[in-house]
Amino acid sequence: MARRAVLIVGAGEPATSVAVGLGVAGWDVHRIDDDTIVWTDDTLAVQCSGLGAVDLVVHARYPAVARRRADLVDLDGDQWRAAADEPLEAAIRLARCVHRPLAAAGGTIVFLVPLMASAGGAGFAAFATAAEGIRVLAKSLAKTWGTDGIRAHALTLDPSAFLAPVDAAGMAEANSLHDPPLGRVPDLETEVARVIAALAHDDLAVLTGASLVVDGGLWMPG
Amino acid sequence: MNEAPRPPPSPPVAGLLTGRVAIITGAGQGVGLGIAEAMAAAGAAVIIAARRPDNGEPAAASIRAAGGRAGFVRCDVTIRADVDAAVDAALDRFGRLDVMVHNAVSPPGPPRPIQDVDDDTIAAQIATSTTAAFHCAQAAFAPLRADHGSLILLTSPAGIEGSGNLPLYATVKGAQRGLLKSLAREWGPHGVRVNAIAPVAWTPAMRTATDANPTLEARLSGRTPLGRIGDPTDDIGPVAVFLASALSRHMTGQTLAVDGGRYLGL
Repeated sequence: MARRAVLIVGAGEPATSVAVGLGVAGWDVHRIDDDTIVWTDDTLAVQCSGLGAVDLVVHARYPAVARRRADLVDLDGDQWRAAADEPLEAAIRLARCVHRPLAAAGGTIVFLVPLMASAGGAGFAAFATAAEGIRVLAKSLAKTWGTDGIRAHALTLDPSAFLAPVDAAGMAEANSLHDPPLGRVPDLETEVARVIAALAHDDLAVLTGASLVVDGGLWMPG
Repeated sequence: MNEAPRPPPSPPVAGLLTGRVAIITGAGQGVGLGIAEAMAAAGAAVIIAARRPDNGEPAAASIRAAGGRAGFVRCDVTIRADVDAAVDAALDRFGRLDVMVHNAVSPPGPPRPIQDVDDDTIAAQIATSTTAAFHCAQAAFAPLRADHGSLILLTSPAGIEGSGNLPLYATVKGAQRGLLKSLAREWGPHGVRVNAIAPVAWTPAMRTATDANPTLEARLSGRTPLGRIGDPTDDIGPVAVFLASALSRHMTGQTLAVDGGRYLGL
């Protein structure tokens, strides 16, 4: 049986660890880790020649400028554009491009977002703006693409999956995120990758539009 | 289906915003105009910040004719200098700025899946929703901090639950909620509150949609517990007055769905 194809979009973490984890689990991993790519209709053909159908797309594309702590009043227009508007637009463009290969496979798209998207994060307003838009994009795609056989989800991860340790620690303090009930924040390579793979499995074919928090129980929104 | 019961009249808001000054973007029509009228009725001086003088000037004039204080500033919210000029106008004409309401948004276009949305529409929706929210927030921060003011963003229930008909619109409206929650955390220590309203109301876009689709109003109303689409001035405006007033002084980072109860997922 042919290995199932996954396209992972984004540089650095959490994309790198998730790619490793899915590769270990037997997926045929295709990676686009150049965050400067402007997604157009032929991006997939250029970047992943021969990839006609895609069983799973994982989006975690947030440029470095979005991950650096900065108060909103200190950002100039170019920095805002690079940290908020551009990654949001890139995710929308990615969605446009992967519709056809996902429909060909009856596939699943999973967007990885940081906790501050839904919980807020001082010093990361631009990052949260892009990420919360992307989290809602997943819901909209689920509603639109269900009849095409495509499922769409968002996974909210602990800030440490995206930020430098000192910033992640500060975010945990500000959001009162201490002592995960399960005793640990999930490991990206061995645990988060398995959740993503499970979402793409036929056993969960009835599930779409889910917005799951995969953080060991730190954040429990209503 | 029975006709929706007639709502009681809106309670008086006079005095709630006496001495306050507000800027409302996109206030030449629709929800923005409704908020401007309600804030003016509550005693605020308002700046109608709108791209089109042909509806912005009459909007300000009608508020003045009703006894309120209002001025018009031509403002394209995607241009930072225009937003700065609106803030300067508030400070020059009325001496302070207590409330910045970002309501303007470009038309989302017809219902269509994301793969059929063109580049220009994507750019315009992002520019008027997230770029413009950045402009409004940053330009207003200093005067808002000086007066313990309030930033209010107009989002949408679609920005919470997603939308199959308007996925791009839902995405940019969701993005605004990521901004407001983060700014609420960032600006709380400065005494500046940041909240959002997610309305479903009669706007020019809603009128166009219901005119084109005669069954749409009945379908929308039928899915709404209160049985009707909201009025910008009498249903949405008072909630904006509440968020702008000291009545909500301990609220920040919140989104109030003002949609007759259609969205109950919060």
